[in-house]
Amino acid sequence: MIEVVSLLKKRGIAGDLFTHEVFNQAINYEANVFKGYEKEERKGYGLRVINPEGKLGFYAFNRFLNPQEVVDRALEVSQIGDRVDFSIPTYPSTWEWENFVDPGVENLKIQEMIELGDYILSRIRESYPQVLVDVTINAGREEKSLLNHHEEELKFARTFFEIGVSANQTREGDILEVYTERSWGNRDINVEDIIEEIISKLEFSQRVANLNSGKYPVIFTPSGSLVLFLPLLYGLNGKNLVFGRSPLQDKEKKVVFSSLFSLEEVQEPWALGSCPFDDEGIITKDQRYLVDKGSLESALWDLWSAAKRGVKPTGNGFRSSYRDLPEPGFSSLRIKNGLRDNSTLIEELEEGLVVDSVLGLGQSNVASGYFSCNVQLGFYVKEGEIKGRVKDVMISGNAYQALLNLKEISRDSRWIGGRILLPYLLVEPIEVNG
Amino acid sequence: MIEVLEKLVRLPQRGEYMEIRLENIVSTTIRVQNGVVEKIRVEADKGGYIRLLSPQGSWWFESFQDWDNLQERVEKAISDASLLPKSDIEVVRKPPVREEKKITLVDDFRFKSLKDKTSLLLEYNQVLKEISPLLVSSSVEYRDEFREIYLANSDGSLIYWQKPDINLNFTATARKGDNIEIYRNGVAGKKGFELVKNQEKLAQEVGQKALLLLEAPSFSGGVYDVVLDPVLAGVFIHEAFGHLSESDALYRNEELKKIMTKGKRVSSSVLNVFDDGSLDNLRGSSSYDDEGIPTSRTYLIQNGYLNGRLHSRETAFLMQEEVTGNARTINYRFPPIVRMTNTAIEGGETTKEDLFSDIEQGLYAVEYIGGNTALELFTFSAAYGYLIERGKIKELVKDVVLSGNLFQTLGKIDAVGNDFRWTEVGGCGKGGQMGLPTPTGSPHIRLREVLVGGSGND
Repeated sequence: MIEVVSLLKKRGIAGDLFTHEVFNQAINYEANVFKGYEKEERKGYGLRVINPEGKLGFYAFNRFLNPQEVVDRALEVSQIGDRVDFSIPTYPSTWEWENFVDPGVENLKIQEMIELGDYILSRIRESYPQVLVDVTINAGREEKSLLNHHEEELKFARTFFEIGVSANQTREGDILEVYTERSWGNRDINVEDIIEEIISKLEFSQRVANLNSGKYPVIFTPSGSLVLFLPLLYGLNGKNLVFGRSPLQDKEKKVVFSSLFSLEEVQEPWALGSCPFDDEGIITKDQRYLVDKGSLESALWDLWSAAKRGVKPTGNGFRSSYRDLPEPGFSSLRIKNGLRDNSTLIEELEEGLVVDSVLGLGQSNVASGYFSCNVQLGFYVKEGEIKGRVKDVMISGNAYQALLNLKEISRDSRWIGGRILLPYLLVEPIEVNG
Repeated sequence: MIEVLEKLVRLPQRGEYMEIRLENIVSTTIRVQNGVVEKIRVEADKGGYIRLLSPQGSWWFESFQDWDNLQERVEKAISDASLLPKSDIEVVRKPPVREEKKITLVDDFRFKSLKDKTSLLLEYNQVLKEISPLLVSSSVEYRDEFREIYLANSDGSLIYWQKPDINLNFTATARKGDNIEIYRNGVAGKKGFELVKNQEKLAQEVGQKALLLLEAPSFSGGVYDVVLDPVLAGVFIHEAFGHLSESDALYRNEELKKIMTKGKRVSSSVLNVFDDGSLDNLRGSSSYDDEGIPTSRTYLIQNGYLNGRLHSRETAFLMQEEVTGNARTINYRFPPIVRMTNTAIEGGETTKEDLFSDIEQGLYAVEYIGGNTALELFTFSAAYGYLIERGKIKELVKDVVLSGNLFQTLGKIDAVGNDFRWTEVGGCGKGGQMGLPTPTGSPHIRLREVLVGGSGND
């Protein structure tokens, strides 16, 4: 595909060609039964050009086309494209980085995946024979590359390994579903940890506890804290800031959250978001603060929004697929953890709620931070003990307010989706309707 | 291509069920934001899959992009699939069907230039922008898509389809200080460019609504009598009952099957709910589903009794019930799974006025932001609502979330309006397959004593 950018160079047009190639294989079990095997190969290209008038064009394709045709298509689009204020970056030639490729994941045999799946299934069913277990195991490799009109190239490959497990227990008038996942770039996923988590969630769920509506302290587990996290990511998005639809507008360098709260973007090895450069060829920093002790330090800027705002791009231009132009996104994120374990936080709770997952995530007014969700899996705590699972309970509030009202952050944390390292967050008060 | 496929589906010799799907999707997406063409995506996407049920009863699925070497792929799939572990899956087999469906559009979007498409969007964006300076962001998003699909299976069925789809969506963001409100609305259909023309009025409404929401108080949660508008009622039935009627949710769950026993009373007799993929030209319609099974009307609830459910070949076989034509895939990257098509609450007898007239204090919940379910639990967010006082529609409120237990909530429906209509906008996600067109239909309906979430201070 070098021919495409050579043609750009020859014609004096700035542009970059993004290539994304994925190989993925998966096995799954449905309701304790082996269902089957799936594999997928896909490769696609997105050509972005800035024409001599400074206007942006884009064309995406996934089969071999004549380079001339590809360039012409992108140029045709550019005639009505947006006039942009950024230029296509040059790539460093002397710089070296590591691919994160685990041959144990890349060459994983179907047989190994099945042994693993069988093991997880049987371990959970030993403890809970009546539950129906779904297991999905994914393993694959992806490679991203960028070629620009200087004929420079950047390339990065990684493997990914993902295990998702859910267990369902149905009784008349009561359907319980518990879920967890682990995702990582290599085989270092602790399978025992997954099994224990599912079993302990089932254990705590066997009793149903009632709670009265009111304001309670709430402990959000790592997966539960996405409720607070999604609105924050919306607010930190450079494009939303440019368009004036983020509540974090004009809040830079101001303390807007609890001083306990620090959020970093990190290039943690083997985390699934980590990368040496973003999808626009901007080198990512090993570590940077988005929020430091409650103060808003930076946001997520891609080339487009950084240029509009007149700030430096932060290496946060990511494409959701080869079909898409870059948008502000993140590599891997980490919330700074606290000093004490989540079990201690629960022990010290006089009365409150543990929220592990919700329904309706991201369906309220994400822009203002308002949330109102049905608690899908949550536990009632009284005098430091989990008394049982709550049913038909809603929590509501504002994510920004909640992050200001943080009371404590746990020492222990867990990677969600292999991309966000989240601890347990104790927030007080949260409105609970039961 | 049909001739090639006809030969390939005869290759499995040991009783395997096999499907081959080839798909070519040409699409254009344009987003105009604050007067600027922010995104133009013209795309050519081509690929296919082979899905094979091995002789020992487990699925093999392979998705690819290259249409060459199909024979080699099929042969390899047959031999690799025979190495999979044993399972107990079987599918319903049917006599072969043949169909070739070519589409003629009134105003074919494939022959419209990018300039024409873009200038229409810029005009709409101008309409939105001029409404008020408080509209800090306004966007118009357009997408058209033309698919060609070849589908062949070991029943001997051979299908060629052309499927158009077109969408136009307006989003207005209004802001006053830290208060930010977003309102969206749009149109969608299996239509040509004519659908997206002359929509200035809708653009106006979207902008006005965002402004009104800015001033509206948040709804304070509580237990209320609630009237749902046809849009929200449609989403409610889709989320709350439709998903539970998808047989893959229960076909291996004996306890859930008991809960979903046919003939069981689930609501008052006013309620009738159906799914129908055979309707003419709605976005969920098709003469056959993606397993080559004819689509049909399935009553999920009839006169308040649980009546039927939705099947793929696999779930129908295991449950020993008739296939319904509900196996659908979003594209060649995913296997077909049990999905809804066009799902609706059938129109009833009550006039809209009568639904409101005896409500002392209640809520009229209108349109939706989103919805979600986990079996018996459901939640959905209304775009906005109005308080009802002594039968009259009063103050506009926002942040309205309805949520609860399906069976309890169905029992609370006590009246169904006579003003049925379809809503085509929006899509459904399941098992990683997002954005499948699943129109919903309903008249206004009334529920008694429902828990409604809100954020307003009491």
